[in-house]
Amino acid sequence: MVVLRAGLCPGLTEEMIQLLRANGIRTVVDFVSSDLEDVAQKCSLSYKALVAVRRVLLAQFSAFPANGADLYEELKSSTAILPTGSPSLDRLLDSGLYTGEVTELMGAPGSGKTQVCLGIAASVSLGLKQHVLFLDSTGGFTASRLYQMLQAQTEDEEEQASFPGVEALQRIQVVRVFDIYEVLRALQDLRDRLSQQVVSSTGPLKIVVIDSVSAVIYPLLGGRQSEGLAIMMQLSRELKTLAREFSLAVVVTNQVTRDSSTGLLKPALGRSWSFVPSTRVLLESREATWGKGLTQRVASLAKSPRQPTGLQVELDIG
Amino acid sequence: MQREVGSLPLAPALRARLAAAGFQTAQELLETGPCGLSKEIGISKEEALEALQVVRQECHGDAARTAEGLGATRKFTALELLEEEQAQGFIITFCSALDNILGGGVQLTKITEICGAPGVGKTQLCLQLAVDVQIPECFGGVAGEAVFIDTEGSFMIDRVVDIAAACVQHCQLIAEAQQEEDHLKALETFSLESILSHIYYFRCCDYIELLAQVYLLPEFLSEHSKVRLVVIDGIAFPFRHDFEDLSLRTRLLNGLAQQLIIAANDHKSAVVLTNQMTTRIGQSQSTLVPALGESWGHAATVRLVFHWDNSQRLATLYKSPSQKEATIPYHITPHGFRDVQPPAVTQGAEGTEMNPRKRPRREEEKQ
Repeated sequence: MVVLRAGLCPGLTEEMIQLLRANGIRTVVDFVSSDLEDVAQKCSLSYKALVAVRRVLLAQFSAFPANGADLYEELKSSTAILPTGSPSLDRLLDSGLYTGEVTELMGAPGSGKTQVCLGIAASVSLGLKQHVLFLDSTGGFTASRLYQMLQAQTEDEEEQASFPGVEALQRIQVVRVFDIYEVLRALQDLRDRLSQQVVSSTGPLKIVVIDSVSAVIYPLLGGRQSEGLAIMMQLSRELKTLAREFSLAVVVTNQVTRDSSTGLLKPALGRSWSFVPSTRVLLESREATWGKGLTQRVASLAKSPRQPTGLQVELDIG
Repeated sequence: MQREVGSLPLAPALRARLAAAGFQTAQELLETGPCGLSKEIGISKEEALEALQVVRQECHGDAARTAEGLGATRKFTALELLEEEQAQGFIITFCSALDNILGGGVQLTKITEICGAPGVGKTQLCLQLAVDVQIPECFGGVAGEAVFIDTEGSFMIDRVVDIAAACVQHCQLIAEAQQEEDHLKALETFSLESILSHIYYFRCCDYIELLAQVYLLPEFLSEHSKVRLVVIDGIAFPFRHDFEDLSLRTRLLNGLAQQLIIAANDHKSAVVLTNQMTTRIGQSQSTLVPALGESWGHAATVRLVFHWDNSQRLATLYKSPSQKEATIPYHITPHGFRDVQPPAVTQGAEGTEMNPRKRPRREEEKQ
C-alpha cells in the first residue's frame, strides 16, 4: 500500500502522479493492477512510459521466490541453537532455542516462567558470551537472583578463580517496558541498532526475552474495541520479522487463564496469538510425591514444529 | 524512523484512515507535513498537527531522553541493576521469620500481594508496614513515608497508635543499648506524632474511585518524594461485588497492575496489596484460592498467603522472583506483628550480610 510519489522510480514525475491521482490511482498496487492502455488513454500519458514505470515498480516491490535448496543452505548457515541452561529443557526443545523462531513459555503464577527466562539469559551470556536483550514488563527481573544463577553455572565449569560474572552481567541489557507502545519502541530501537550494525554497545545479539507479553496486551483486549487485537498482531509481526531477518531467538512468556466452560487452564491471549510462537512450553508446579517433600516443576511441550507434543520433563530451578 | 504507522499511539479511526491512504512508516508521515496530511486524509489542520506531534515525540523521544539522562529511559545492564538492588533497603516487618523468607523484608520497586481469609492478619501487617517504613536509616529502615488507600474501612487509628508507640519504644531501647550519636538524633524526629503525620490516608468507596486514585498516584508521589510504601488494603472488595462484566474487570485489573508497577518502579516504592480468598469447587473437594481470578495472580511480583492451622497463624510464600517457597508461623500481639517465640539470640549470618546496619533487635523482643 505504498503511495505513489515522485522519485519513487525514474520516469515517475510529479505531473504524472497528479494525472494518475485524478483518475483514482494513488498507490503502487492500484497502478500495477490497472489496465495500462486504459490509463494511457484517460490520462493522456505515453503507454511506453507507463510500461517502463510498471516494470521498475514490480522489480522494487514484489517478493522473489527462493529455491528450496538455497533456503535450506541459508538456514543451515544462519540458524543457531542456543542452550537454555537446563539440560532437561534443552531435551524438550530438541537441543535448545532455535534462532529465527519465537518460543513461548506459559504457566500459572509462580510456576517458574521468570526463573527459566533468567536461566536462559544467564546461560547465553555466560556460556556463549553473547549479548541478551531482556524486556521486563512485570518488574520481576531480580538481578541478585540472576547473579546467583551465574555463580551456580560457573561452579559447574570450575572457573571460580577468574569469575567472569561481571562481564556476563554487562552483556545482559534490561529494558523496563510497562506499556505496549514502549515494547514496540524498544523493538524498533533494536531493529535500528541491528540494521546499522552498531557493534560497540550491542555486541553480537542473538536472543531477545520478553517477560511477559500478556501483561502489556491484556489491558487492551476484549470489549467492543478491536484495537487490542490489531496492536497484538502488530507486535507479533514485529517479533517474527525481527527473529527471521536478524537470526534472533525470541522468547516470550504468557499467562494462563481458566476456560469458563470446561474449567481447564488454557494459554492467555486467545486463538490469534496461538499462531505466533512456533514452540509452546507449559510450565506447571505439581505437588510432589511423598518422598521428596518439595514441589516438582514440570515442563510439557504443547506445540512444536520438531518434536511430538505431550513430552514432559522435570525442571530444576536452582 | 521506519516505525510502522500501526504501531504508533494514535486514535484507531485516524490509524484506519492513514492505512487507507497508503501511509506505511512514520518517516512518510513526517515528510508529508501537516498541510499535505490534512488534504490527503481529510482531517482538519489542527488534528493533523497534533498527530504529527505525537509521531515526532515517539520517534525522537528516545534520542531526547538519552540526552537527558538515564532516569527517563528504563534501559540498564544487569550489572547496574545488581548494584542498585544491593544498595536498596527493605521494609522490615518486625517478624524476623517473615523477613527471612522474603529475603530481608518487603522489597522496594515490587508489588507484594497478601492473600488470606478474614481475620488472619492482613490489615495488621499493612498497618505494621506503614509504621515500619518510617524507621530511620540508622536503625535499619528506609526512612520513608506511607500512602494508605483503604477500600474496606478497616483502618483503625487506635491500632496504629499502639503499633507506632511500640515501634518508638523499641527504637529507644536500641538507642539506650548502643548509645550512638546518630541514634539519639534520629530519635528526636521519630516520635508518635511524626509517624502518624507521615501516613497519607485515602478512602475509596468503589472501584471507580480506586482507579482514579491509582491514576493520580504518580502525581502525588512526585510531590511527596519521600513516600516509600503504597498500601492498598482491600483491592478485591470493590471489584467483587456489583460487577457483571467479568472481561471488563480483568481488563481494569490488568491496567491497574501496570499502573502500580510503573508507580513502584519510577518512585522506588514498595506496593502492598491485600486480597481476599474465594472457594474453588474442584471435582471432589473445594479449595481456598486467592480471589479476582487467574490473571490477577500474574500482577503481583511476590505473593504471600496467610492461613490458619488449628489456632496457629501461618504465612506461606507462594511466588517470588528470588526466594524459595516456605511457610512460617507468626503472631499478632498488642504491639503489632511479631514472631511466634523469641528467636535465637545468636546473630543470624544472613542478617549482617543483608544490611550491616541492622541492629540485633532480638534481645529486645521480650516485651
